Amino acid sequence: MTTTLAPDMIERITRIEVTPAIPAILLPLMELLKAPSDSVEIDEVVRLVSYDNAISAQCLRMANSPLFGLAVPPKSVSAAVVSLGLRRVESILLTCCMGQAFPLKRWVLDPVVFWRHSLGCAMVCRKFSEKLANSDGEAAYMAGLLHDIGFLVNCLAFSDEFTKAMEVAQREQIPFDEAEQATMGFSHCESGAVLAAQWKLFPDTVQVIAHHHDVEKAETARALVALVHLSDLLCRMRGMGYGYYERRKVDMISDPAWGILAREHRELDGIDLARFTFELDDAVVEIFELVSAVFAASPVHA
Amino acid sequence: MTISTQTTNAPSSPFRVAEPVDPLYRQIRDIVYKVSGIYNTDEKLYLLVDGCAKRIKELKLRSAREYLDHLTAHRSLDGESRFLLNELTIGETCLFRSMPQIDALRKVILPEFAADKTRQSMKRLRIWSAGCSTGEEPYTLAMTMMEESEGLLKGWRVEIVATDLNDRSVEASKAGVYGDYGLRNTTDYYKRKYFLPADGKKLQVKPEVKKLITFNRLNLSEDTKMLFMKGMDLIFCCNVLIYFDGTSKTKVVDHFFGNLNFGGYFFLGTSESLLKLNDAFHLVHFPGTIGYWKPSLKSEKL
Repeated sequence: MTTTLAPDMIERITRIEVTPAIPAILLPLMELLKAPSDSVEIDEVVRLVSYDNAISAQCLRMANSPLFGLAVPPKSVSAAVVSLGLRRVESILLTCCMGQAFPLKRWVLDPVVFWRHSLGCAMVCRKFSEKLANSDGEAAYMAGLLHDIGFLVNCLAFSDEFTKAMEVAQREQIPFDEAEQATMGFSHCESGAVLAAQWKLFPDTVQVIAHHHDVEKAETARALVALVHLSDLLCRMRGMGYGYYERRKVDMISDPAWGILAREHRELDGIDLARFTFELDDAVVEIFELVSAVFAASPVHA
Repeated sequence: MTISTQTTNAPSSPFRVAEPVDPLYRQIRDIVYKVSGIYNTDEKLYLLVDGCAKRIKELKLRSAREYLDHLTAHRSLDGESRFLLNELTIGETCLFRSMPQIDALRKVILPEFAADKTRQSMKRLRIWSAGCSTGEEPYTLAMTMMEESEGLLKGWRVEIVATDLNDRSVEASKAGVYGDYGLRNTTDYYKRKYFLPADGKKLQVKPEVKKLITFNRLNLSEDTKMLFMKGMDLIFCCNVLIYFDGTSKTKVVDHFFGNLNFGGYFFLGTSESLLKLNDAFHLVHFPGTIGYWKPSLKSEKL
């Protein structure tokens, strides 16, 4: 994939890899989960997770949430795998790892706001995906969770520039990526894509991170990129945005992303978007609680 | 010793702690949505529970299950649905009821109108509050517009038409006298600026606010009268269409579409949707609220 970032900027992002904050289990876990579901060693996943008490505890807290829809809450990670299924547990585990991956000392953006948006978007992506035939809900969840990873890159590698972008976005109440472009000359999409490639995330996820604000530029996985784009907009319009009022109206059905998604999923045009919007409000309270339980507890590293 | 708890007799409050709700109420919610387009989110499900409790008592039924059976058998708008909807919407209205709608108006729509060349040359804005009940909505709109009279709307002529089917409501609207309940969302700033003291600790809307509004009796089902309501830029019709059956609702909505200027907006109540009754309107999202947009001529090809 091509990137418009200057080499010295890429160098700054590359250095993020050595951040001590990344939980030891995150990268091996991602590596493990790249394999097709039926060949993943469940015992290996459980063993890996049990190394990290904080992540095990947070994983169970999430598995207990009504958003994951279990009548009987699981008591252990392996029980959660049995009742929720491996793929759902993967989503939960990666969510918890992400919470610990960036316990920045100096967040430019309020971390609670960021994780509400990211987890909110993950949930909305999954709910959206469930309304479409042949759409992988957990892949959509993961794409939603990671789509704004570039925010964290910008916090770590470009904090002064990013602070300015944040101020402009809040003052002018414009979309964040526009403020980034205006002040930094690039957005979290480009910087996130560099980190995603470096972390060797799934190619589809890299496309989502790079192009969720300009779906037509996606080279592959365009339906997934479109789904994340629309879910991101919905979150920002329903109280799970970046913590400030965005002065804008969003006409989703006229958005090119809607057309791209509809070409692959004919049933999209049958969705009652107003009702879907109202249903999302049901999830907001629980998402806020989960973020407090799972993300706010992350230790802050020096 | 008797310990009185606030929850037993307290009126329904949005701050009430969420208790587990019988899943039957979600089925009742679905019926209400299909019949009327009103959706009670989980957070507001207590309103539905309270409304059903009143109907259960009235009908001398024994349980929510019996009520669901009764509602299922008499779900038409001539039947039980009407009584339940009455309970759900009773006493709901107050001034400044939906802040997300007012924010959308001031922060997104008025700047859009002010920048629109056609409207700029006319400097005229026509707003219709269709089903204005006892005047809370048109007065809120009038005060909101007056706040912009030295800003975005400097030199503009604003006309608000407020109509209701009920003569007594129209008379009460004209009087513009409100007590604590109707003013529960009105800040001291607005009370001081736009109201005068009235009998019994009530407040009355000042004449200069009333001057912006024309009150009339109007039946939305009367085609000939509907055809005369031309040239609107904004139409608000809150919790009125819920009482219309599918065919008459479609007809009224088609009229509203015709009544609006190109680029105009139509708003329903905050939990209300058009149930995909009209394809010509674009559903648009603003932060915290949805609206329906009649595309401007140049954007019609979108």
